[in-house]
Amino acid sequence: MTNFDYDKTVALVADTLVRAGSTFKEDKKEAYRRAIAAERNEKAKWVLETVLENAEAAEKNRSPLCDDTGIPHLVLEVGPDAAVSGRMLAAIRQGVAEGLRKLPGRPMGIMGDDSHRIDQSGGLDPDSAGVLPAPILVRETEENVIRLHILMFGGGPAIRGRTYRVFHRHNTQMVLDEIVNWSRQMVSELGCSPCTLAVGIGRSHFEAASMMLQAQVDGDFNVQSEMEAEITRRVNEADVGPLGLHGDTSVLATFMKVGPQRASGVRIVCVRPACCFEPRIASVEL
Amino acid sequence: MVKELTTPITKEDIEGLQVGDTVTISGPILCGRDAVLPKVVKMAENGTVDELGVSLEGQVVFHTAVSPAGVGPTSSNKLEIESSIGPLSKAGIRLHLGKGALHKETIEALDTYGSVYAVIPPVTALLGEKTLEQKTVAFPEEGMEALHMLMVDRYPAIIAAAHGRSIYD
Repeated sequence: MTNFDYDKTVALVADTLVRAGSTFKEDKKEAYRRAIAAERNEKAKWVLETVLENAEAAEKNRSPLCDDTGIPHLVLEVGPDAAVSGRMLAAIRQGVAEGLRKLPGRPMGIMGDDSHRIDQSGGLDPDSAGVLPAPILVRETEENVIRLHILMFGGGPAIRGRTYRVFHRHNTQMVLDEIVNWSRQMVSELGCSPCTLAVGIGRSHFEAASMMLQAQVDGDFNVQSEMEAEITRRVNEADVGPLGLHGDTSVLATFMKVGPQRASGVRIVCVRPACCFEPRIASVEL
Repeated sequence: MVKELTTPITKEDIEGLQVGDTVTISGPILCGRDAVLPKVVKMAENGTVDELGVSLEGQVVFHTAVSPAGVGPTSSNKLEIESSIGPLSKAGIRLHLGKGALHKETIEALDTYGSVYAVIPPVTALLGEKTLEQKTVAFPEEGMEALHMLMVDRYPAIIAAAHGRSIYD
């Protein structure tokens, strides 16, 4: 941390991005094994087994879990005595680019001016590194480190996700009910389930979305709060199932982060139905 | 029991398929998605589809991009993809391969033209091991969204719509 080495940082970040795009963390593998053992629908069980088998092949080959390799989203944790420089941010940016080439990421960056990028008339950048990362989220940590988390966000969950206001009527259950209602619809529309529901609750759309992102960083498939477990259970009761083929496992887990709230009858809620491979995440100390 | 399908798929093959069947698909298959399928539909409708240099009769269309990252299904219920299913079935495509629930009208169109829809898990790493060859067939300017042809060996899938029925009902 104190001896910043540009080239070493680039290499570390590139390797971390490849791990994020090709590897299931151990708690996720365990969640799949539990789901396979508990699933009563044979077609659903087959899908779960195939997704886990795919993860093992991707990890062995260090190749993409999914052809939609995703948009890099970065969370940078900074300890009390740590310092982040512009050169470090440049090294991170270069490491992301090199990681995308190495994975390889799907070359799906759109070229051109604002209008061209909206209507896709500017053409595709043939370089995998043309997929630029989303803005970096910085947060504090009590540990004296600089730690980078890389998450790869696919398109399907972005299509179905939602950030919107919920009137809580001074009852947490009202908010949970709305999250469950939204999620049932999202999960049924998302082709690539089982999902992990990522939920953020904040005071603005930006804050709610950033909570949703951090929920995926901090989430652990082996640790579920009462509220998270309730959301998972109620969405699974909808019998959507993996790939929508029915079954007990529409959702593997819920990762929820509740931020500070304001005196108001409204909460801003962000829900992302993270697909069967997400959170695609890996972390590294720089 | 897994039913093994090899392209070109015959009408007899289709008659023997039921919703919920687990199948494998082998042989050459076409790949296209949002950008290119409407163009192929237009060619089929104006009688110029032979210019593609491949026969659509008995073919499979896999709703995917083809890129260095591999292949994997995109949502078949996206507007430009789902609206291609009826016209391409009429033009000879026997199996549409993707993911997600289709609308009732599309399931009826599949039945009318003697075609089926199957879903495939988004297992890019496994599909990479089962993809033997790939080439661009048409519209190379669309890059990864061009019309591609793959030679595949036992792609796994589940029949999700056939004979007017859907697994999502």
